[in-house]
Amino acid sequence: MELFKDTRFDFLGRKWWFILPSLILTFAGLASLLIKGGPLYSIDFRGGAVMDVRCDGAPPIERIRTAVSNRLTGVSVVAAHDLTGSNEVLVSAQLPAEGDLSELRQTIDQALSTVMTKYSIRDFEVIGPQIGADLRRQALMATAGASAGMLLYLGWRFRLVYGAAAVVAMVHDAFITVGVFSLLDQEISLTVVAALLTLIGYSMNDTIVVFDRIRENRHTSGREPLAVTMNRSINQTLSRTVLTSGLTLLTALSLFLFGGPVLHGFSLALVIGIVTGTFSSVFIASPILLAWEQWRAGSRALRVPLPTVEPTGGVR
Amino acid sequence: MNRTLIRKTLFILALVAASAFAIVRRPIRLGLDLRGGASLILRVKVDDSASPEQRRDVVEQTRQVLERRINAYGLAEAPVQPYGSRGNELLVQLPGVHDPSRIQSIVQSRAVLEWYAVEEGPYATRADAMAQHGGILPYDRKLLATRPAADGRQSWYVARSRPVVRGTDLRDARVAADSMGQPVTTFSLSQDAAARFEQYTRANIGRRAAIVLDQEILSVPVIEDAIRDSGQIRGARNLEEAQDLAVNLRSGALPAAIEIVQTRTVEASLGADSIRHGVQAGAAGLAAVVAVMLLYYRWAGANATLALLLNGVLLIAALACFGAVLTLPGIAGVVLTIGMAVDSNVLIFERIREELRGGKSTGAALAAGFSKAFDTLVDTHVTTVVSCAFLFLFGTPAVKGFAATLVIGLLTNLFTSVFVSRVAFDWELSSRRRGTELSIGLAR
Repeated sequence: MELFKDTRFDFLGRKWWFILPSLILTFAGLASLLIKGGPLYSIDFRGGAVMDVRCDGAPPIERIRTAVSNRLTGVSVVAAHDLTGSNEVLVSAQLPAEGDLSELRQTIDQALSTVMTKYSIRDFEVIGPQIGADLRRQALMATAGASAGMLLYLGWRFRLVYGAAAVVAMVHDAFITVGVFSLLDQEISLTVVAALLTLIGYSMNDTIVVFDRIRENRHTSGREPLAVTMNRSINQTLSRTVLTSGLTLLTALSLFLFGGPVLHGFSLALVIGIVTGTFSSVFIASPILLAWEQWRAGSRALRVPLPTVEPTGGVR
Repeated sequence: MNRTLIRKTLFILALVAASAFAIVRRPIRLGLDLRGGASLILRVKVDDSASPEQRRDVVEQTRQVLERRINAYGLAEAPVQPYGSRGNELLVQLPGVHDPSRIQSIVQSRAVLEWYAVEEGPYATRADAMAQHGGILPYDRKLLATRPAADGRQSWYVARSRPVVRGTDLRDARVAADSMGQPVTTFSLSQDAAARFEQYTRANIGRRAAIVLDQEILSVPVIEDAIRDSGQIRGARNLEEAQDLAVNLRSGALPAAIEIVQTRTVEASLGADSIRHGVQAGAAGLAAVVAVMLLYYRWAGANATLALLLNGVLLIAALACFGAVLTLPGIAGVVLTIGMAVDSNVLIFERIREELRGGKSTGAALAAGFSKAFDTLVDTHVTTVVSCAFLFLFGTPAVKGFAATLVIGLLTNLFTSVFVSRVAFDWELSSRRRGTELSIGLAR
């Protein structure tokens, strides 16, 4: 079977058709982030307590909320995301200013016992405010470090402008993922950040395959305009791009559907990121590269010199 | 038959056998989120006035004491690790422990056992005791309270402020039954403490002493005879409490107080659910990927499936060999590896197809496809490894587990997609007559 046989789409000529939706999504995410005062951090990053309670029968969410709110502040009670309907609720609360963290479990437990007789505490987590602040700092450092590391690697393997274009595409992907999380009121937890860092790598990976081909084709393209070479490269790698993203998306989707409540945020981030990551290597990274090269060619009125790499033989 | 091809095949088979052996011999350890248990981050409260060396010593001593205690509780595979960058935090993992009060008794009781000479008491309240001295205690006296009873009542004693026996004087502690069959914790003293103790008890027969644990009076016995080097502690509510006390006394007192800054307790049933979810997601993902590959690439799809399965075996064996701990995010990493690993095969197959369309012979197209795709493969793998490396900045075991799984999965993937797939293709070619086409789903 062949999906894309000898395609000749003019991706770069119609780039605005594709950049526009991406811009709309970016601004929608930005607006949501501004209105809601930044991303919604989970207790991993802001400190607090969360308890996973399995109830016997449908959980009386409102009554649980009232009972716990009488004892603690910042209480939220939501049904745990689960397709099987397991009668689980997540009870979360802010940390009291005074007192030991280990007493929190008893406090919530007592509140629950006034509402229900049969329930079990399946998971209980308390994170002190300082640990949360530490993790926030580490998340920023890890993201910045990973981006810088990739910029350097791509700068070394290709040229800096390739790296810069790929990093812009990657930031675009990460930003859209965070924006969509904000639009959907989903929390950014530690595992979501892990998913984001994985996506950074994945987005790069996808961009590299396209760039690799552009570089290769530029050796054999002669006096062909750069836009034509790039279009040809994108078309040549199109079936690979669609197929591999589709396959990775399938595994991410199966994690989203079957992976259970704990991995919900993680797999959602993966699904969003894989879609935008694939999109951005074609419609964000490549136009940037083209615009840069055209600007340079225009300003020097010279043909762009080819990157110095061994010729690897003709394609076709 | 081609000699090198047979040698390569034997190499792969040997590797599979070794992996199977490793998996059977060293089963993968499950993380706390999968098997249930408690995980804590503790902060050692060191005086701000202490020098950096002193702080490090106190934290290290605390770590050792906690480790001794946990080992004595029979949780031997749970080392206490330094955590974070601040230098005064420790990560403790207690598999199978759920009872919060027991966790607290393990990590938070300082286990400083002391004997004080009692001067006056008991008083019903602190105010009563103070009133006897006009509101101010003499400089060499201190006020001690008993451990609250079940109804919350305490009584107060005035004792000499300098203890007769200190926590560091203990040599051993065990659990025994007293004459009434109640559990008691017996202890014995080190040599010089024993001499001091004997002298003190001989001189104070008929008077009262207070046995004090962590500044709470456990009992106030009357000294009946000179005691040399051993004693008993009564007042444990049950056998478990007496045992815990013995363990804590044996492991030594904590040099500083401890604050719990993060805890997570997971019930074993939740862990079992997580494993089930993970396996379901993995099976669904694998089935979908294999179906698409077979549909799209025909026989070459079977080749990719073989590489994928082998990748899974190698990955699990590598995790077992490195003693890695499998967490829920780790399982997610394995599932994700399925999708990402097949990427390499697709990249190579697409290249082979292109070479075939370009008019190359089957053998030449294979060779060109593998060699040209290799550079791209290395690039794509490096980027993911770089982003995973930065995940290690997070000390949390779950995130580290995820990153480790993904990196190992990508490395084994490079081997299976490039080496194993190539060998499988070579077999396919050599088993057919010359000139037949490669089954890679390409209509000619």
